Amino acid sequence: MKMLAKGRILVVGGGIAGLTAAERLARAGAGVVLVEKSPYLGGRVARLHRYYPRMCPPRCGLEVLINNIRGFPHVETHLLTEVIDVKKASSGIHTVTLLKKPRRVMDTCTACGLCETACPAEKKTSFCSQAIKAIRGPGDWAHPATFWVDEGMCRGRDCSLCVQACPEQAVDLSQQPEETDLDVQGIIIATGTELYDASLIKEYGYGRLPGVITAMELESFFRPDGPAGGLPVHPATGEPLRRVAFIQCAGSRNANHLPYCSGYCCTVTLKQVEYLHQSLKDVQTWIFYQDIRTPGNREEYYRHVREEYRPVFIRGLPSSIKYRPETGELTVKCVDTLSRKEVRGRFDLVVLATGMAPPALPEFYGIERDGSGFFSGHIPCEPTELRRPGIWAAGSVQSPMDAEESVKSALAAVAQCLVKLRQQPAAFPALDQRKCDRCGRCVKECPYGACIPGSDGYPAADPGDCRGCGICQGGCPLLCINLPGYGSKKIEEVVDKVLTRGGPEMAILLFLCGNDAYPAWNSLIKQQKGKGLEGIMPMVVPCIGAVNAAWVSEALIGGLDGVMLAGCRPDQCHHAAGTSLAATRLDNLKETLTRMRLEPERVSLTQVTIDDSLKLFKEIQNFKSSLEKLGPNPFK
Amino acid sequence: MPPKVDPHKCDGCKGEKEAICMAICPGDLMYLNEDTLKAYCRSPRDCWDCMSCVKACPQGAIETRLPYQLGYYPAKLIPLMGSKRVSWTCIGQDDKVERFSYKNRND
Ligand SMILES: Cc1cc2nc3c(=O)[nH]c(=O)nc-3n(C[C@H](O)[C@H](O)[C@H](O)COP(=O)(O)OP(=O)(O)OC[C@H]3O[C@@H](n4cnc5c(N)ncnc54)[C@H](O)[C@@H]3O)c2cc1C
Ligand code: SF4
Ligand code: SF4
Repeated sequence: MKMLAKGRILVVGGGIAGLTAAERLARAGAGVVLVEKSPYLGGRVARLHRYYPRMCPPRCGLEVLINNIRGFPHVETHLLTEVIDVKKASSGIHTVTLLKKPRRVMDTCTACGLCETACPAEKKTSFCSQAIKAIRGPGDWAHPATFWVDEGMCRGRDCSLCVQACPEQAVDLSQQPEETDLDVQGIIIATGTELYDASLIKEYGYGRLPGVITAMELESFFRPDGPAGGLPVHPATGEPLRRVAFIQCAGSRNANHLPYCSGYCCTVTLKQVEYLHQSLKDVQTWIFYQDIRTPGNREEYYRHVREEYRPVFIRGLPSSIKYRPETGELTVKCVDTLSRKEVRGRFDLVVLATGMAPPALPEFYGIERDGSGFFSGHIPCEPTELRRPGIWAAGSVQSPMDAEESVKSALAAVAQCLVKLRQQPAAFPALDQRKCDRCGRCVKECPYGACIPGSDGYPAADPGDCRGCGICQGGCPLLCINLPGYGSKKIEEVVDKVLTRGGPEMAILLFLCGNDAYPAWNSLIKQQKGKGLEGIMPMVVPCIGAVNAAWVSEALIGGLDGVMLAGCRPDQCHHAAGTSLAATRLDNLKETLTRMRLEPERVSLTQVTIDDSLKLFKEIQNFKSSLEKLGPNPFK
Repeated sequence: MPPKVDPHKCDGCKGEKEAICMAICPGDLMYLNEDTLKAYCRSPRDCWDCMSCVKACPQGAIETRLPYQLGYYPAKLIPLMGSKRVSWTCIGQDDKVERFSYKNRND
């Protein structure tokens, strides 16, 4: 597959987020390669009965996207395909390796289903699902309407009953997996999440007790491809459902499972309560919950469901579920935290509202996960842009989210991607090859992987990927990297000025991170009108990580009394590693100063946010008074 | 006296093929321990105390003691490099501290 990499974007994952991203990019004229691991497009939304807030069937929305995508000649779609490797090829270009598994059914398939009838390989995956065959179709609705062979179940070419059954000769069991390399300019990762494994919540007995199901399984009850062909009946008895319990936060907001709230499950339960009451006159529904979390306009929906269908709300999570084989009933025991009484209820179905677990994605290309294991950028400034330039996250791979939020995040990723394709390169650092000894520290320290060694071993910042933080310049032992406008020269000029001026006045060099500390400093000089700031020489840097330790040394051995660095809090650093690198560099220098019998208190790193001008002022005053106690710098 | 490397400060120049001290030592004496990725002097007797490594180490991890001909234990000479200046701090046997700093670059 040889194609033009420039302007071509790879979208990984064909759920609602990936489809939205692919369709919008294509409309904007970008070439798109859409890769989906499963045999069908649509992701989780395609397997729902209806989706809130408008209660549309999944076709609505998805079908428009898919049809548009099919109409674009510059979009390629690969199903049953995964990305197995991503490498940086050249400036702003990634080479991705795709592994395409065989579908073994060709496009001539008319979805007549004769092969499925003939197939002898059958299994039942859960108590409430219909048995599946090794060759099977798209179910109620999916795209494409073509069958496929499940490799894991197929008995192989010795069987070939499907091949014989197919009137179109569409089955080809000899198809083999294919690996291909592809160059692209950007990657949008929209691979969604896993649902939390309900069987890990031992007390609820999922997988062990018949009648305990997940919310995802309940969706299928209302679909023609569900356990009873769309009838809301008990899968074992065939009787209409009478009493259904929902357990919220199943495996969520719990230190032993998922510590966070997935945010969508409360509304999903309300929606499913509505499904049940709309299709069954006599059904009773109970909801066991900790808090009902329906922010924004979903609160209105909560009120509607509560008033219209009157489900029983029990505030508390069940401690146990028991199954009685004689009656097929499940007894749920729970302490109601409002009345402090124990409540017991008998149900024929218990639905676990499980949350979204971190995505199971291979660790390629050093893309980092956030604290919860999701793939997100700098929240809130660059939420979709990952720490590897040219790679964005869209949809629930970014954090647990519903369809609406997934679409929004896909649109944000598309916007960022298009900006990147069209933007002017920013100022990026220049390397003086005469001085560089190719030690590689800049390559290791660049938080974006933008500093890369060329074939001659000399590193260079990739203008397409560099975000101008200057961290490479701050770490370079030989001072041979210079970000335009920020080099050593400026420091030397300040030191020379202090030296020629002479005199006993205190002189302090203050480095200010351009993101937060510098604006805080600006407010400070307005507030103070210079008072209390005498002797301070401010110097702006793009990130506090851009300050080279040799600059601090230069100032100290040139006779300045102290050097202060003001950067962001490490967890707020706009370039991830800036503050922590600055701290390490200063700690090393302080140790050397101590050996030199020069007070380590002459250097200091402080953390300020943009509205911390008062804190900055206090820190400066404290620093000044500690320097006064120390007396003048002996190098003066 | 040969260079002593502070294992807490040395970061093995981040495990690159050639650490700065290895590259700069005129006697080719500095090596990285392959397991710990910390620098060490492979043959202390051959060290001339030129202090190139001390000045060049970006982490300030290397220290040398003065040879006894110049100052007996515990006398120390500690360089610190700025961007255009170098400084020397000399701590004598009698604990007297003297400091010098010079411009050593003009570009
Ligand atoms: C029971 C239930 C009910 C819900 N009801 C609603 C609702 O009513 N309204 C609502 O707004 N939201 C609802 N949601 C949430 C909604 O399903 C998600 O928000 C939405 O599916 C997220 O879309 P996505 O594109 O991010 O991920 P997904 O829909 O999960 O799509 C990701 C796609 O990427 C593919 N993929 C995964 N890994 C790879 C890989 N390595 N390579 C290539 N492809 C890969 C997957 O096969 C999948 O097709 C519900 C969720 C559940 C579980
Ligand atoms: S300036 Fe920052 S982003 Fe650019 S190459 Fe240097 S370290 Fe990397
Ligand atoms: S130059 Fe310094 S940090 Fe680098 S290996 Fe040598 S001692 Fe360690």
